[in-house]
Amino acid sequence: MATISGADVKHIVVACEAGMGSSVMVAKMLAKQLKHTGITVSHTPVNQLADEPHDVVLCHRGLGSRAKQAVPGSVVIVFDMFLGDFKIAQLVSDLSEGAEIVGD
Amino acid sequence: MANFIPAGDGGHTGWRAAVQKLGGNLAGMVIPNIGAFIAWGLLTALFIPTGWTPNEQLAAMVGPMIVNLLPILIGYTGGRLVHGQRGAVIGAVATVGVIVGTSIPMFLGAMIIGPLAAWALKKIDAVLDPVTPPGFEMLIGNFSLGIAGLLMAILGYLGIGPTVNALSDVLGKGVQALIDTGLLPLASILIEPAKVLFLNNAINHGVLAPIGVVQAEELGKSIMFMLETNPGPGLGILVAFWLAGPKILRGSAPGAIIIHFLGGIHEIYFPYVLLRPLVILGAIAGGATGVAIFLATGVGLVATPSPGSIFAYLAVTPPGNHFGVFAGILLSAAVSFVVTFLILKASKAGDDDLDAAKAKSKAMKTGAAE
Repeated sequence: MATISGADVKHIVVACEAGMGSSVMVAKMLAKQLKHTGITVSHTPVNQLADEPHDVVLCHRGLGSRAKQAVPGSVVIVFDMFLGDFKIAQLVSDLSEGAEIVGD
Repeated sequence: MANFIPAGDGGHTGWRAAVQKLGGNLAGMVIPNIGAFIAWGLLTALFIPTGWTPNEQLAAMVGPMIVNLLPILIGYTGGRLVHGQRGAVIGAVATVGVIVGTSIPMFLGAMIIGPLAAWALKKIDAVLDPVTPPGFEMLIGNFSLGIAGLLMAILGYLGIGPTVNALSDVLGKGVQALIDTGLLPLASILIEPAKVLFLNNAINHGVLAPIGVVQAEELGKSIMFMLETNPGPGLGILVAFWLAGPKILRGSAPGAIIIHFLGGIHEIYFPYVLLRPLVILGAIAGGATGVAIFLATGVGLVATPSPGSIFAYLAVTPPGNHFGVFAGILLSAAVSFVVTFLILKASKAGDDDLDAAKAKSKAMKTGAAE
Protein backbone atom coordinates (compact mmCIF):
# COMPACT_ATOMS: atom_id res chain seq x y z
CA MET A 1 0.00 0.00 0.00
CA ALA A 2 1.51 3.28 -1.12
CA THR A 3 1.92 5.99 1.49
CA ILE A 4 3.30 9.49 1.53
CA SER A 5 3.82 12.05 4.26
CA GLY A 6 1.47 15.00 3.95
CA ALA A 7 4.48 17.31 4.28
CA ASP A 8 6.01 15.89 1.08
CA VAL A 9 2.96 16.45 -1.10
CA LYS A 10 3.51 19.23 -3.62
CA HIS A 11 1.05 18.33 -6.33
CA ILE A 12 -2.29 16.52 -6.44
CA VAL A 13 -4.00 15.26 -9.59
CA VAL A 14 -7.74 14.71 -9.79
CA ALA A 15 -8.77 12.20 -12.46
CA CYS A 16 -12.10 11.63 -14.16
CA GLU A 17 -13.27 9.93 -17.32
CA ALA A 18 -12.73 12.78 -19.76
CA GLY A 19 -10.57 15.03 -17.61
CA MET A 20 -12.79 17.98 -18.49
CA GLY A 21 -15.88 17.72 -16.29
CA SER A 22 -16.11 16.46 -12.75
CA SER A 23 -12.34 16.34 -12.18
CA VAL A 24 -12.04 20.03 -13.04
CA MET A 25 -14.77 20.83 -10.56
CA VAL A 26 -13.21 18.77 -7.74
CA ALA A 27 -9.74 20.13 -8.54
CA LYS A 28 -10.98 23.73 -8.34
CA MET A 29 -12.70 23.15 -5.02
CA LEU A 30 -9.68 21.34 -3.59
CA ALA A 31 -7.27 24.01 -4.82
CA LYS A 32 -9.33 26.62 -3.00
CA GLN A 33 -9.10 24.66 0.24
CA LEU A 34 -5.35 24.14 -0.18
CA LYS A 35 -4.53 27.70 -1.23
CA HIS A 36 -2.61 28.53 1.96
CA THR A 37 -0.45 25.37 1.73
CA GLY A 38 1.14 26.05 -1.65
CA ILE A 39 0.07 22.60 -2.88
CA THR A 40 -1.06 22.70 -6.49
CA VAL A 41 -3.96 20.72 -7.94
CA SER A 42 -4.52 19.73 -11.56
CA HIS A 43 -6.91 17.45 -13.46
CA THR A 44 -6.53 14.78 -16.14
CA PRO A 45 -8.37 11.95 -17.92
CA VAL A 46 -7.87 8.73 -15.97
CA ASN A 47 -6.33 7.04 -19.04
CA GLN A 48 -3.56 9.64 -19.12
CA LEU A 49 -2.74 9.63 -15.41
CA ALA A 50 0.71 8.14 -16.03
CA ASP A 51 1.75 11.20 -18.05
CA GLU A 52 0.83 13.63 -15.30
CA PRO A 53 3.43 14.18 -12.55
CA HIS A 54 1.80 13.85 -9.12
CA ASP A 55 2.32 13.01 -5.47
CA VAL A 56 -1.28 12.01 -4.76
CA VAL A 57 -4.08 10.94 -7.11
CA LEU A 58 -7.72 11.56 -6.30
CA CYS A 59 -10.64 10.02 -8.18
CA HIS A 60 -14.16 8.70 -7.72
CA ARG A 61 -14.54 5.14 -6.51
CA GLY A 62 -16.18 4.16 -9.81
CA LEU A 63 -12.90 4.84 -11.59
CA GLY A 64 -10.68 3.62 -8.74
CA SER A 65 -9.52 0.36 -10.29
CA ARG A 66 -8.56 2.08 -13.53
CA ALA A 67 -6.60 4.75 -11.69
CA LYS A 68 -4.70 2.08 -9.76
CA GLN A 69 -3.97 0.24 -13.01
CA ALA A 70 -2.69 3.44 -14.59
CA VAL A 71 -0.36 4.40 -11.72
CA PRO A 72 0.22 1.28 -9.60
CA GLY A 73 2.94 2.82 -7.41
CA SER A 74 1.12 6.04 -6.52
CA VAL A 75 -1.00 7.04 -3.56
CA VAL A 76 -4.51 6.81 -5.00
CA ILE A 77 -7.36 8.09 -2.86
CA VAL A 78 -10.90 7.28 -3.93
CA PHE A 79 -13.87 9.36 -2.84
CA ASP A 80 -17.60 8.70 -3.04
CA MET A 81 -19.32 12.07 -3.25
CA PHE A 82 -18.38 14.94 -5.50
CA LEU A 83 -19.61 17.41 -2.90
CA GLY A 84 -18.86 17.21 0.81
CA ASP A 85 -16.92 13.95 0.82
CA PHE A 86 -15.26 13.15 4.14
CA LYS A 87 -12.27 11.48 2.45
CA ILE A 88 -11.46 14.76 0.71
CA ALA A 89 -11.92 16.64 3.98
CA GLN A 90 -9.64 14.10 5.65
CA LEU A 91 -7.03 14.58 2.93
CA VAL A 92 -7.07 18.34 3.39
CA SER A 93 -6.55 18.03 7.14
CA ASP A 94 -3.82 15.38 6.70
CA LEU A 95 -2.04 17.69 4.30
CA SER A 96 -2.12 20.71 6.54
CA GLU A 97 -0.98 18.63 9.54
CA GLY A 98 1.70 16.82 7.52
CA ALA A 99 0.18 13.50 8.59
CA GLU A 100 0.84 10.17 6.86
CA ILE A 101 -1.45 9.70 3.84
CA VAL A 102 -2.34 6.12 2.95
CA GLY A 103 -3.61 5.19 -0.50
CA ASP A 104 -6.75 3.09 -0.88
CA MET B 1 -11.42 -0.59 4.08
CA ALA B 2 -15.19 -0.37 4.54
CA ASN B 3 -16.81 0.13 1.21
CA PHE B 4 -20.28 1.49 1.65
CA ILE B 5 -20.90 1.79 -2.05
CA PRO B 6 -21.86 -1.71 -3.17
CA ALA B 7 -20.87 -1.22 -6.79
CA GLY B 8 -17.30 -0.53 -5.75
CA ASP B 9 -13.99 -1.34 -7.33
CA GLY B 10 -13.66 -4.91 -6.12
CA GLY B 11 -11.94 -7.66 -8.06
CA HIS B 12 -15.11 -8.87 -9.78
CA THR B 13 -15.57 -5.62 -11.67
CA GLY B 14 -12.62 -6.05 -14.03
CA TRP B 15 -14.98 -6.14 -17.01
CA ARG B 16 -16.34 -2.78 -15.97
CA ALA B 17 -12.91 -1.22 -15.89
CA ALA B 18 -12.21 -2.72 -19.32
CA VAL B 19 -15.44 -1.39 -20.83
CA GLN B 20 -14.88 1.96 -19.15
CA LYS B 21 -11.37 2.08 -20.54
CA LEU B 22 -12.55 1.40 -24.08
CA GLY B 23 -15.33 3.92 -23.67
CA GLY B 24 -12.90 6.37 -22.12
CA ASN B 25 -10.71 6.13 -25.18
CA LEU B 26 -13.68 6.68 -27.50
CA ALA B 27 -14.83 9.63 -25.45
CA GLY B 28 -11.24 10.87 -25.22
CA MET B 29 -11.22 11.30 -28.99
CA VAL B 30 -14.51 13.19 -29.05
CA ILE B 31 -14.68 15.31 -25.91
CA PRO B 32 -11.65 17.54 -26.59
CA ASN B 33 -13.36 18.45 -29.89
CA ILE B 34 -16.78 19.31 -28.48
CA GLY B 35 -16.17 22.99 -29.17
CA ALA B 36 -16.00 22.23 -32.90
CA PHE B 37 -19.21 20.20 -32.60
CA ILE B 38 -20.89 23.18 -30.99
CA ALA B 39 -19.72 25.52 -33.76
CA TRP B 40 -21.19 23.08 -36.27
CA GLY B 41 -24.38 22.62 -34.24
CA LEU B 42 -24.96 26.36 -34.01
CA LEU B 43 -24.26 26.86 -37.73
CA THR B 44 -26.77 24.13 -38.46
CA ALA B 45 -29.40 25.47 -36.08
CA LEU B 46 -29.09 28.96 -37.53
CA PHE B 47 -28.59 28.63 -41.25
CA ILE B 48 -30.04 25.42 -42.70
CA PRO B 49 -33.37 25.83 -44.57
CA THR B 50 -35.38 24.84 -41.47
CA GLY B 51 -33.18 26.91 -39.12
CA TRP B 52 -33.70 30.21 -37.31
CA THR B 53 -32.37 32.42 -40.12
CA PRO B 54 -31.94 30.33 -43.27
CA ASN B 55 -28.95 31.46 -45.32
CA GLU B 56 -27.81 29.44 -48.28
CA GLN B 57 -24.24 30.77 -48.48
CA LEU B 58 -23.43 30.30 -44.79
CA ALA B 59 -25.21 26.94 -44.73
CA ALA B 60 -22.64 25.74 -47.27
CA MET B 61 -20.25 25.31 -44.32
CA VAL B 62 -22.50 22.76 -42.61
CA GLY B 63 -21.75 19.82 -44.89
CA PRO B 64 -17.95 20.09 -45.10
CA MET B 65 -17.72 20.57 -41.34
CA ILE B 66 -19.66 17.46 -40.41
CA VAL B 67 -18.35 15.25 -43.20
CA ASN B 68 -14.70 16.36 -43.24
CA LEU B 69 -13.65 18.54 -40.31
CA LEU B 70 -15.19 16.67 -37.38
CA PRO B 71 -14.03 13.15 -38.39
CA ILE B 72 -10.53 14.50 -39.12
CA LEU B 73 -10.43 16.13 -35.69
CA ILE B 74 -11.49 12.83 -34.13
CA GLY B 75 -8.87 10.89 -36.09
CA TYR B 76 -6.25 13.51 -35.19
CA THR B 77 -7.09 13.38 -31.48
CA GLY B 78 -7.26 9.58 -31.52
CA GLY B 79 -3.82 9.43 -33.11
CA ARG B 80 -2.44 11.88 -30.56
CA LEU B 81 -3.64 9.69 -27.69
CA VAL B 82 -1.59 6.79 -29.08
CA HIS B 83 1.58 8.44 -30.40
CA GLY B 84 1.74 12.15 -29.66
CA GLN B 85 2.01 14.76 -32.42
CA ARG B 86 3.26 12.32 -35.07
CA GLY B 87 0.38 10.01 -34.24
CA ALA B 88 -2.03 12.91 -34.54
CA VAL B 89 -0.77 13.85 -38.00
CA ILE B 90 -0.94 10.34 -39.40
CA GLY B 91 -4.33 9.84 -37.77
CA ALA B 92 -5.67 12.86 -39.63
CA VAL B 93 -4.14 11.72 -42.94
CA ALA B 94 -5.58 8.22 -42.62
CA THR B 95 -9.01 9.55 -41.66
CA VAL B 96 -9.31 11.24 -45.04
CA GLY B 97 -9.24 7.80 -46.66
CA VAL B 98 -12.18 6.69 -44.54
CA ILE B 99 -14.12 9.89 -45.23
CA VAL B 100 -13.76 9.70 -48.99
CA GLY B 101 -14.71 6.03 -49.00
CA THR B 102 -18.24 6.81 -47.80
CA SER B 103 -21.01 9.38 -47.99
CA ILE B 104 -21.99 9.51 -44.31
CA PRO B 105 -20.16 11.33 -41.47
CA MET B 106 -17.46 8.82 -40.57
CA PHE B 107 -17.16 9.19 -36.81
CA LEU B 108 -16.81 5.49 -36.04
CA GLY B 109 -14.37 5.03 -38.91
CA ALA B 110 -12.25 7.92 -37.63
CA MET B 111 -12.29 6.41 -34.13
CA ILE B 112 -10.82 3.21 -35.59
CA ILE B 113 -8.37 4.44 -38.22
CA GLY B 114 -6.91 7.36 -36.23
CA PRO B 115 -5.51 5.29 -33.34
CA LEU B 116 -4.72 2.37 -35.67
CA ALA B 117 -2.59 4.51 -37.98
CA ALA B 118 -0.82 6.07 -35.00
CA TRP B 119 -0.16 2.62 -33.55
CA ALA B 120 1.32 1.45 -36.86
CA LEU B 121 3.57 4.52 -37.00
CA LYS B 122 4.66 3.91 -33.41
CA LYS B 123 5.78 0.41 -34.40
CA ILE B 124 7.58 1.76 -37.47
CA ASP B 125 9.31 4.45 -35.40
CA ALA B 126 10.44 1.84 -32.90
CA VAL B 127 12.22 -0.02 -35.72
CA LEU B 128 13.66 3.01 -37.57
CA ASP B 129 14.73 5.20 -34.63
CA PRO B 130 17.68 3.04 -33.47
CA VAL B 131 19.11 2.65 -36.98
CA THR B 132 18.70 6.25 -38.16
CA PRO B 133 22.14 7.82 -38.82
CA PRO B 134 22.71 11.23 -37.15
CA GLY B 135 21.49 14.08 -39.33
CA PHE B 136 18.90 11.93 -41.11
CA GLU B 137 16.24 12.08 -38.37
CA MET B 138 14.13 14.67 -40.12
CA LEU B 139 14.34 13.08 -43.54
CA ILE B 140 13.47 9.61 -42.31
CA GLY B 141 10.88 10.88 -39.84
CA ASN B 142 9.00 12.88 -42.47
CA PHE B 143 9.06 10.20 -45.14
CA SER B 144 8.19 7.33 -42.82
CA LEU B 145 5.13 9.28 -41.69
CA GLY B 146 4.28 10.32 -45.23
CA ILE B 147 4.51 6.87 -46.73
CA ALA B 148 2.80 5.14 -43.79
CA GLY B 149 0.08 7.81 -43.91
CA LEU B 150 -0.50 7.16 -47.60
CA LEU B 151 -0.82 3.43 -46.98
CA MET B 152 -3.14 3.88 -44.00
CA ALA B 153 -5.36 6.26 -46.01
CA ILE B 154 -5.65 3.63 -48.74
CA LEU B 155 -6.44 0.98 -46.14
CA GLY B 156 -9.10 3.28 -44.72
CA TYR B 157 -10.57 3.94 -48.15
CA LEU B 158 -10.69 0.29 -49.23
CA GLY B 159 -11.21 -1.54 -45.95
CA ILE B 160 -12.46 0.45 -43.00
CA GLY B 161 -14.71 2.94 -44.78
CA PRO B 162 -16.99 0.38 -46.45
CA THR B 163 -17.03 -1.86 -43.36
CA VAL B 164 -18.06 0.93 -41.02
CA ASN B 165 -20.51 2.18 -43.61
CA ALA B 166 -22.25 -1.20 -43.60
CA LEU B 167 -22.14 -1.30 -39.79
CA SER B 168 -23.62 2.21 -39.52
CA ASP B 169 -26.32 1.16 -41.94
CA VAL B 170 -27.32 -1.75 -39.73
CA LEU B 171 -27.18 0.39 -36.58
CA GLY B 172 -29.19 3.14 -38.21
CA LYS B 173 -31.83 0.69 -39.46
CA GLY B 174 -32.05 -0.88 -36.01
CA VAL B 175 -32.55 2.49 -34.37
CA GLN B 176 -35.10 3.49 -37.00
CA ALA B 177 -37.00 0.26 -36.29
CA LEU B 178 -37.02 1.12 -32.57
CA ILE B 179 -38.33 4.60 -33.40
CA ASP B 180 -40.98 3.32 -35.82
CA THR B 181 -42.30 0.69 -33.43
CA GLY B 182 -42.28 3.10 -30.50
CA LEU B 183 -39.95 0.84 -28.52
CA LEU B 184 -37.18 3.42 -28.19
CA PRO B 185 -38.11 4.34 -24.57
CA LEU B 186 -37.00 0.82 -23.59
CA ALA B 187 -33.45 1.91 -24.36
CA SER B 188 -33.52 3.68 -20.98
CA ILE B 189 -33.47 0.26 -19.27
CA LEU B 190 -29.92 -0.13 -20.55
CA ILE B 191 -28.80 3.46 -20.71
CA GLU B 192 -29.62 4.70 -17.21
CA PRO B 193 -27.86 1.92 -15.23
CA ALA B 194 -24.85 2.00 -17.54
CA LYS B 195 -24.70 5.76 -17.13
CA VAL B 196 -24.29 5.71 -13.34
CA LEU B 197 -21.52 3.13 -13.70
CA PHE B 198 -19.55 5.93 -15.36
CA LEU B 199 -20.18 4.60 -18.86
CA ASN B 200 -22.02 7.82 -19.67
CA ASN B 201 -19.43 9.26 -22.03
CA ALA B 202 -18.83 5.91 -23.71
CA ILE B 203 -22.54 5.50 -24.45
CA ASN B 204 -23.19 9.04 -25.58
CA HIS B 205 -20.06 9.93 -27.51
CA GLY B 206 -19.08 6.40 -28.53
CA VAL B 207 -22.43 4.95 -29.58
CA LEU B 208 -25.40 7.32 -29.68
CA ALA B 209 -23.84 10.51 -31.08
CA PRO B 210 -22.28 8.83 -34.16
CA ILE B 211 -25.73 7.44 -35.06
CA GLY B 212 -27.36 10.77 -34.28
CA VAL B 213 -24.99 12.72 -36.43
CA VAL B 214 -25.95 10.67 -39.50
CA GLN B 215 -29.63 11.35 -38.81
CA ALA B 216 -28.98 15.02 -38.13
CA GLU B 217 -27.22 15.41 -41.45
CA GLU B 218 -30.24 13.97 -43.26
CA LEU B 219 -33.10 15.40 -41.22
CA GLY B 220 -31.55 18.41 -39.46
CA LYS B 221 -32.12 16.84 -36.04
CA SER B 222 -31.93 13.59 -34.12
CA ILE B 223 -33.46 12.10 -31.00
CA MET B 224 -30.32 10.01 -30.44
CA PHE B 225 -28.59 13.03 -28.89
CA MET B 226 -31.25 13.11 -26.15
CA LEU B 227 -31.24 9.53 -24.88
CA GLU B 228 -28.28 9.81 -22.54
CA THR B 229 -27.99 13.58 -22.15
CA ASN B 230 -31.47 14.37 -20.79
CA PRO B 231 -30.79 16.08 -17.43
CA GLY B 232 -34.37 15.41 -16.26
CA PRO B 233 -33.96 11.99 -14.59
CA GLY B 234 -30.91 13.11 -12.62
CA LEU B 235 -32.70 16.28 -11.54
CA GLY B 236 -35.64 14.25 -10.21
CA ILE B 237 -33.33 11.96 -8.27
CA LEU B 238 -31.41 14.83 -6.68
CA VAL B 239 -34.59 16.67 -5.66
CA ALA B 240 -35.93 13.45 -4.12
CA PHE B 241 -32.67 12.96 -2.17
CA TRP B 242 -32.87 16.56 -1.00
CA LEU B 243 -36.37 16.05 0.40
CA ALA B 244 -36.33 12.41 1.46
CA GLY B 245 -32.80 11.07 1.25
CA PRO B 246 -30.55 9.92 4.08
CA LYS B 247 -29.82 12.92 6.30
CA ILE B 248 -26.10 12.99 5.60
CA LEU B 249 -26.79 13.37 1.87
CA ARG B 250 -29.46 16.06 2.01
CA GLY B 251 -27.08 18.92 2.63
CA SER B 252 -25.12 18.43 -0.57
CA ALA B 253 -28.16 17.90 -2.80
CA PRO B 254 -29.01 21.55 -3.61
CA GLY B 255 -25.47 22.27 -4.76
CA ALA B 256 -25.52 19.06 -6.75
CA ILE B 257 -28.78 20.10 -8.41
CA ILE B 258 -27.22 23.32 -9.69
CA ILE B 259 -24.05 21.60 -10.91
CA HIS B 260 -26.06 18.84 -12.59
CA PHE B 261 -28.93 20.73 -14.21
CA LEU B 262 -27.28 24.05 -15.01
CA GLY B 263 -23.63 23.02 -15.22
CA GLY B 264 -24.35 19.75 -17.00
CA ILE B 265 -21.95 17.59 -14.97
CA HIS B 266 -24.13 14.49 -14.61
CA GLU B 267 -21.44 12.57 -12.70
CA ILE B 268 -22.49 14.43 -9.60
CA TYR B 269 -25.69 12.42 -9.17
CA PHE B 270 -24.17 8.98 -9.84
CA PRO B 271 -22.88 8.52 -6.25
CA TYR B 272 -26.37 9.10 -4.86
CA VAL B 273 -27.71 6.29 -7.04
CA LEU B 274 -24.78 4.02 -6.16
CA LEU B 275 -25.56 4.57 -2.47
CA ARG B 276 -29.20 3.58 -3.00
CA PRO B 277 -29.09 1.27 -6.04
CA LEU B 278 -32.86 0.72 -6.10
CA VAL B 279 -33.22 4.37 -7.04
CA ILE B 280 -32.05 3.43 -10.53
CA LEU B 281 -35.69 2.48 -11.15
CA GLY B 282 -36.50 6.18 -10.85
CA ALA B 283 -33.87 7.06 -13.42
CA ILE B 284 -35.15 4.38 -15.79
CA ALA B 285 -38.80 5.43 -15.41
CA GLY B 286 -37.86 9.09 -15.87
CA GLY B 287 -35.58 8.41 -18.81
CA ALA B 288 -38.18 6.28 -20.58
CA THR B 289 -40.84 8.95 -19.98
CA GLY B 290 -38.61 11.58 -21.51
CA VAL B 291 -37.81 9.47 -24.57
CA ALA B 292 -41.50 8.64 -25.04
CA ILE B 293 -42.41 12.33 -25.03
CA PHE B 294 -39.54 13.29 -27.34
CA LEU B 295 -40.73 10.54 -29.67
CA ALA B 296 -44.44 11.44 -29.47
CA THR B 297 -43.78 15.13 -30.14
CA GLY B 298 -41.31 14.27 -32.92
CA VAL B 299 -38.52 16.48 -31.56
CA GLY B 300 -34.77 16.17 -31.83
CA LEU B 301 -31.59 18.17 -31.35
CA VAL B 302 -29.20 19.39 -34.04
CA ALA B 303 -26.07 18.30 -32.16
CA THR B 304 -25.11 16.57 -28.96
CA PRO B 305 -25.64 18.84 -25.95
CA SER B 306 -22.34 18.53 -24.13
CA PRO B 307 -22.18 18.94 -21.21
CA GLY B 308 -25.78 17.83 -20.63
CA SER B 309 -26.88 21.15 -19.17
CA ILE B 310 -30.25 22.78 -19.76
CA PHE B 311 -28.34 25.67 -21.37
CA ALA B 312 -26.64 23.33 -23.85
CA TYR B 313 -30.09 21.92 -24.64
CA LEU B 314 -31.36 25.43 -25.33
CA ALA B 315 -28.50 26.04 -27.76
CA VAL B 316 -29.05 22.92 -29.87
CA THR B 317 -32.86 22.78 -29.94
CA PRO B 318 -34.06 23.62 -33.46
CA PRO B 319 -36.99 26.02 -34.03
CA GLY B 320 -40.41 24.57 -33.22
CA ASN B 321 -38.99 21.79 -31.05
CA HIS B 322 -38.91 23.64 -27.75
CA PHE B 323 -42.25 22.48 -26.43
CA GLY B 324 -41.51 18.79 -26.89
CA VAL B 325 -37.96 19.08 -25.62
CA PHE B 326 -38.88 20.92 -22.43
CA ALA B 327 -42.00 18.85 -21.81
CA GLY B 328 -39.84 15.73 -22.08
CA ILE B 329 -37.20 17.04 -19.69
CA LEU B 330 -39.71 18.31 -17.12
CA LEU B 331 -41.89 15.21 -17.15
CA SER B 332 -38.89 12.90 -16.97
CA ALA B 333 -37.72 14.88 -13.92
CA ALA B 334 -41.20 14.65 -12.38
CA VAL B 335 -41.52 10.89 -12.94
CA SER B 336 -38.01 10.15 -11.70
CA PHE B 337 -38.67 12.36 -8.65
CA VAL B 338 -41.89 10.56 -7.71
CA VAL B 339 -40.44 7.07 -8.13
CA THR B 340 -37.22 7.95 -6.29
CA PHE B 341 -39.13 9.71 -3.52
CA LEU B 342 -41.31 6.63 -2.93
CA ILE B 343 -38.29 4.31 -2.93
CA LEU B 344 -36.44 6.52 -0.46
CA LYS B 345 -39.48 6.77 1.82
CA ALA B 346 -39.99 3.01 1.70
CA SER B 347 -36.35 2.28 2.53
CA LYS B 348 -36.13 4.84 5.34
CA ALA B 349 -35.18 2.07 7.76
CA GLY B 350 -31.83 1.67 6.06
CA ASP B 351 -30.85 5.21 7.01
CA ASP B 352 -29.13 4.19 10.22
CA ASP B 353 -27.18 1.45 8.49
CA LEU B 354 -25.71 3.97 6.14
CA ASP B 355 -24.74 6.34 8.93
CA ALA B 356 -23.19 3.44 10.77
CA ALA B 357 -21.31 2.29 7.69
CA LYS B 358 -19.98 5.76 7.11
CA ALA B 359 -18.96 6.17 10.72
CA LYS B 360 -17.26 2.78 10.64
CA SER B 361 -15.48 3.61 7.43
CA LYS B 362 -14.35 6.90 8.92
CA ALA B 363 -13.11 5.20 12.07
CA MET B 364 -11.13 2.70 10.04
CA LYS B 365 -9.65 5.45 7.93
CA THR B 366 -8.59 7.38 11.02
CA GLY B 367 -7.30 4.18 12.57
CA ALA B 368 -5.25 3.39 9.49
CA ALA B 369 -3.73 6.85 9.50
CA GLU B 370 -2.39 6.54 13.02
